[in-house]
Amino acid sequence: MSVIDHNAIDLPRISEASVADYIALLKPRVMSLVIFTALVGLVIAPGHFHPVLAFTSILCIAVGAGASGALNMWYESDIDALMSRTANRPIPRGRVTRPEALAFGMVLAFFSVMTLGILVNWLAGGLLAFTIFFYVVIYTMLLKRWTAQNIVIGGAAGALPPVVAWAAATGSLAVEPLLLFLIIFFWTPPHFWALALFRNDDYARAGVPMLPVVAGPDATRLQILLYTIVLVAVAVAPWPLGYFDAVYGIASLLLGSWMLVLAVQVYQRREGTAALRATRKLFAFSILYLFALFATLLVEVVARAVAPSIW
Amino acid sequence: MDDKQEPKGIVLTEAQKKRRRERSVAIALALGVLVVLFFAVTLVKGPAVLVRPM
Repeated sequence: MSVIDHNAIDLPRISEASVADYIALLKPRVMSLVIFTALVGLVIAPGHFHPVLAFTSILCIAVGAGASGALNMWYESDIDALMSRTANRPIPRGRVTRPEALAFGMVLAFFSVMTLGILVNWLAGGLLAFTIFFYVVIYTMLLKRWTAQNIVIGGAAGALPPVVAWAAATGSLAVEPLLLFLIIFFWTPPHFWALALFRNDDYARAGVPMLPVVAGPDATRLQILLYTIVLVAVAVAPWPLGYFDAVYGIASLLLGSWMLVLAVQVYQRREGTAALRATRKLFAFSILYLFALFATLLVEVVARAVAPSIW
Repeated sequence: MDDKQEPKGIVLTEAQKKRRRERSVAIALALGVLVVLFFAVTLVKGPAVLVRPM
């Protein structure tokens, strides 16, 4: 269903889109998290990586993520118009047409992949292309409107940036970036289901089969708790396995404990404002959780580089 | 006579002109960044690439 049918108007349409509208198509907030997780993947990679190549890699990954956002908004403009959270996006507002968003996304996707491949290496370029493909085709076009497991499987796209960054820095893959992948992968369901719980009406109106819409809020609360348990275990595991050190281990234990407490509260508080507050708290903390976990790895590497003797 | 007036075509408003100019500047900047990026990486990966025998 299309809410805005630009083809119905025969006269040539003069675009009034501002630069800010095109920036909004890139989903800057999602992009900032992608840049941050990719930066961590880059920094923890072994060996020396020239700063110009590192900057190029992060820029290409960021632009690739932006391209995914633009292509996502191109495909989802019909349901975006129905949800209060997304109704202000450039396409539903009529600032950018669907063909414009499609062209913008495709051009950025092409240039980000080709630039990363040519200037850095083709493993990273290929992985970036796969990430964009997975997010746009597998998640946006196939999974999102078809199954309640949409964000579980689709979460792989959001989890790939640190892997792409590691591949850019080393030209190969290893266990460490896959651990980062797993952390983001298992973080995605509790994060988005918490959002879906308090945006349930939005998703139901748009016909998106998010878990609370399909299985109900109580089943979602149980799934959030189960995925949080797995997430905390996966996030702590690299410490005893010897991949990341004790500072990370203790940080992941403390952060994970609080994440679990909030998930239990979401599970227990099912009615009224207490339930809504618990869900919002988990959603907000889940962002801080991922940020703090990755920041710990970043700080460790920087501290080791600045003062190797005391570390 | 009005009938014989030359068609003016599409006339952009001032707001449309301003936005189009802003978009053009943004595209120019993006292309500039791309050129600088390729130049910088060429230097980093091997300055010898710039020395080409005739």
